Amino acid sequence: MSDIVSHEVVYLPSQLIVDFNKCTGCRICELACSAKHEGKFQPSLARLKIVRYDDIGLDIPNVCGPCETAPCVDICPVFAMRRDPISKMTYLDEDKCILCKSCVGACVNGVILLDTERMKIIKCNHCDGNPECAKVCPTGAITYGPDSSSATVDRHGKIVSYLKEIERTDKVHGTGAE
Amino acid sequence: MIVAGGYTGKILRVNLTDEKFKIEPLPKEWIKPYIGGDGFGAKLLFEELSAGIDPLGEQNKLIIGTGPITGTMWPMSGRTVLISKAPLTGIWGESHVGGFLGAELKFAGYDMLVVEGKSEKPVYIDIHDSDFHLQDAKEKWGMSTDTVTTAIKKDKHDPDVQVAAIGPAGENQVRYASVMFNHARAAGRTGMGAVLGSKNVKAVAVRGHGAVEVHDLDGFMEFAKAAHMRVRTNPIAKGMSKVGTWGLVAVKQEIGEFPTFNHQTGVFEGWEKLSADHIRPKYTIGDRACFGCSLGCKKVNYIKEGPHAGTLEEGPEYEGLMAFGSLIGIDDFATTLKGNQICNRYGMDIISAGSTIAFAIEAFVKGVITEEDTGGLKLEWGNREIVIKLLEMIGKREGFGDVLAEGSKRAAEKLGRGTEKFAIHVKGMEVSGQDGRTHRSIALGHATSARGADHLRSLVVVDQLGYEDVAIKRWGKDKLPEIIDPYTEKYKANAVFESENAYCIRDTLIVCWYTVSWPPIFWMEDFAKILPLATGENHFSKVENLVEIAERQVTLKRLFNAREGITKKDDTLPDRFLKDPMPDGPGKGQVVDLEPMLRDYYTLRGWDLETGLPTEKTLKRLSLEWTKSHS
Repeated sequence: MSDIVSHEVVYLPSQLIVDFNKCTGCRICELACSAKHEGKFQPSLARLKIVRYDDIGLDIPNVCGPCETAPCVDICPVFAMRRDPISKMTYLDEDKCILCKSCVGACVNGVILLDTERMKIIKCNHCDGNPECAKVCPTGAITYGPDSSSATVDRHGKIVSYLKEIERTDKVHGTGAE
Repeated sequence: MIVAGGYTGKILRVNLTDEKFKIEPLPKEWIKPYIGGDGFGAKLLFEELSAGIDPLGEQNKLIIGTGPITGTMWPMSGRTVLISKAPLTGIWGESHVGGFLGAELKFAGYDMLVVEGKSEKPVYIDIHDSDFHLQDAKEKWGMSTDTVTTAIKKDKHDPDVQVAAIGPAGENQVRYASVMFNHARAAGRTGMGAVLGSKNVKAVAVRGHGAVEVHDLDGFMEFAKAAHMRVRTNPIAKGMSKVGTWGLVAVKQEIGEFPTFNHQTGVFEGWEKLSADHIRPKYTIGDRACFGCSLGCKKVNYIKEGPHAGTLEEGPEYEGLMAFGSLIGIDDFATTLKGNQICNRYGMDIISAGSTIAFAIEAFVKGVITEEDTGGLKLEWGNREIVIKLLEMIGKREGFGDVLAEGSKRAAEKLGRGTEKFAIHVKGMEVSGQDGRTHRSIALGHATSARGADHLRSLVVVDQLGYEDVAIKRWGKDKLPEIIDPYTEKYKANAVFESENAYCIRDTLIVCWYTVSWPPIFWMEDFAKILPLATGENHFSKVENLVEIAERQVTLKRLFNAREGITKKDDTLPDRFLKDPMPDGPGKGQVVDLEPMLRDYYTLRGWDLETGLPTEKTLKRLSLEWTKSHS
């Protein structure tokens, strides 16, 4: 009975915190990330991703973490994806990776990628504790520090209130969308 | 294929008639004299179009261009330009647009897309890295721009596909049809949407996974990051990230340059209902930005109550508040937002649409045209319903809308009876939200710009808003106070000349109007630093070389227009600005004296004082003699 271990819950001392309310969708983070890690401007290889929804005017930043339980670590069949014992950040031990791509599918934020040109897994490492994306973000939508988990609801507030409002007027007037 | 840093080195051509794509190398010899963007476009269009062709015919070509900075970390570098012979004016046509498609085109591997010929049936151009197709768009023909953008993303199963689409207005070849990007970013002016419509192209969809590589990444990143900080700490830029260009309404009202009742006056009683202080708290629910922009001037607005409740749309800009607000006497933000949404969805230029409607209202109110002309519509100033109705009629080319879809110049020709005096245009393009009477340099800018009454190619903001320190830095203390006095013609040609040159380089990079033109943050010396870091081309490190490149570009566009018959006689303004003194406001009594400014400007440009055409000497100095072999 006690053999069944539930997923390990780990609290990261520092993590990337995203505020949906502040993101303008400029993608400067993607540019800076690819410049730092790839030496060129190539958002398709950035370690984070901004998804823009032009129809509802929303921009959603997807970054690595915070993952109290890390699906990428759990799913890795060869233990190449592990947690750093000090920073608790998940990282890929590249010479153990067998390119099964399980982590790519398991990542709940969709930010682990396969670089199909060089055939390697691309994974955020929080720039070893000094993340470039947080430094360049012009609005403070991405910050790095200890989590203040109580504020998560607030940070998603824009979407919630937004959808509620659209629902409300939709019932009365219709949104004007076809 | 790398020709220099920043470029992909490839031009993609699609011939719609033969249904064939072709990749060509970017000519290396273009880089030094033309840089990119507008420069490449001017060179290619001049060489490949014959004079006198129909802008809506098979022979016209449409270019989607980028520059060496496009897709990089330099602030606001995702912009792109659409260039073609303009359906609205029959001369040089170009329209710059924000959004993300420019950068995506570079990531797909192309500096430029050239669209030629004419498709037999509706198609959309589908570019996915090195894979390209003409996709059938029969089902998509007739869709609004937002619907077709969503439909293409759905087809491709990819929210990151960047789409440039036309709506019903483009399909119906409304002379000022726009091309829409990301639902609400418009390549608005001169009718680029009608060009695509005439070619049966519903949209251009681009997805790229590649990279843009600059010559010196470390140096580039250091300067680019510092540049972002300059934007983020600039007080005006900070204000703009809250209210976009709406802040201009109060300023323009104060200086008496807020075009009202079809440019009859420059002050509008109901301005407060269109001001930033009114709009932001009541309607704005989100701030957005284009690619690589740390300013973020785009505002998502939502209307909770009233006849337009439920309207959710980005915009309008200052120009939209003017075009559907003061220009037609409407003091209601909701109407301007709805008008903006209709223009975005049908794909029409806001300035030309609003101005053409204002033209019709004035002609009607003054009794020159009647309900017989309008099909029973009673036009009047300030009528909120009528503007919405007219916009839809224009987009569909229905009834009187069909007349207005031709733009104010052609509509006046058709209606006759002296309605020309109500058509406020230069060279066929409607005048934007400025007034030369209370801002003399824009009078010269409107009169001389390559695409007609244009506020984006040479609008001097420094004199209009009184940035004395910037004026001293740029033009020297000896030209003050006249150069920043909005009511005198003196030195205005110098200000226009220098601003136009800097904006030319801006449009070759390509970066945004904001932070270059207003607020004044970046100027030639910054371009001279970033261009060599990006390209490795040291020729760009000297401001005087950049000035020469800009002069070459302005003169080349002039030669393009000259080939279509443009001379000094066309460099003029509507009588409203030249003869009717400003009736109210701080600039009361002011009129424009254009001739002395024109002569100063031609002298600086090296154009003939009598004909307004570039002299032989100028052609030689700017290495433009090759133009003589293309007629």
